Amino acid sequence: MTDQADLERGYRRLLAWYPPEFRRENGQEILAVLMAGARDGQRRPGLAESADLIRSGLWMRLHPSVPRSARTVRAAVRLMYAGGAASAAELVIGLTLIIGDIQVAAHGQFLGHSLAAQKPLVITVWIVFGLAGTSLWLWMARANGQGRNWARIVSTVMFALNTLALGGAFTRPVSHPGFGVTVLYFGSIVLFVAGWLVGGAAVWLLWRPGSDAFFNPPGSTQALHQWHMAELDRLRSSRARSPRRV
Amino acid sequence: MILTALANGSQHGYGIITDVREISGGRVRLRAGTLYSALDRLRAEELIRVDREEVVDGRLRRYYRLTPAGTKRLAAEAARLQAAAAAALTRLNLAGGMAT
Repeated sequence: MTDQADLERGYRRLLAWYPPEFRRENGQEILAVLMAGARDGQRRPGLAESADLIRSGLWMRLHPSVPRSARTVRAAVRLMYAGGAASAAELVIGLTLIIGDIQVAAHGQFLGHSLAAQKPLVITVWIVFGLAGTSLWLWMARANGQGRNWARIVSTVMFALNTLALGGAFTRPVSHPGFGVTVLYFGSIVLFVAGWLVGGAAVWLLWRPGSDAFFNPPGSTQALHQWHMAELDRLRSSRARSPRRV
Repeated sequence: MILTALANGSQHGYGIITDVREISGGRVRLRAGTLYSALDRLRAEELIRVDREEVVDGRLRRYYRLTPAGTKRLAAEAARLQAAAAAALTRLNLAGGMAT
């Protein structure tokens, strides 16, 4: 008996890797399956099954599955993941260009005004902004995918701020840029505008009428009220269809 | 595999695990973590849905079943595999004439 209690405690600890909502809905059931699959006298979760639970739990935390019925939200979340991937690519490509430009400058083939003098600063700023941008996209994709209404609002505010920054993107930073900087400059403008368009499309999708049901948590009074009304309608219509017994 | 396990009626989680092991001749041993993330994804795709819930030994037991879309997907997948297997067998016959 104590063996079983120990084992169950071990499994419960591993289930903490799953998102809380998923655990609330499926935790008891997964626990029952795990306990049913345990060997006689087993006291601790096995290594392979622990790894499997941790991996699945983390995956579900990072990548919430949005129901097919919430089509607009699914599309918005996909766009945001694409934005995150593009942002990460921009970070890496930009970094190679900056470093490349600095190396060219260091070897004496000076292609106009280069970044060599401000090297550490430029690299640091690029990395910080790149990482922040990528994480923001992924964070918003995840939170919106989990149906958090605040995420919908935060995404919209960030898109608005991004729109304000759109004007700033067109100012030329250096008077005689080197090759890397020129590519970086025009490339970043194209990517910035592309990111802005993707963000705009995602925000638009999040506020479509079809998305609203997904963002109303089932516990909220409004959703509960809607559910009660639907249930009443269903009862009424089924009563109307079946002949009344006397 | 999971869809196949649900093809002839609803099943609960542990039932799916034992069924999948049987279908695969003992080769595939689904783990609970993998099973439940797959079930979550299949539910989001609306290929399966919860059929009913029971409480057994004080624990919740959920039975899953295929939706019409799930049945369609499974049939399409099975037809694809059958066509691939048929093509392989035909070519083996042509090449060596050893398959009987």
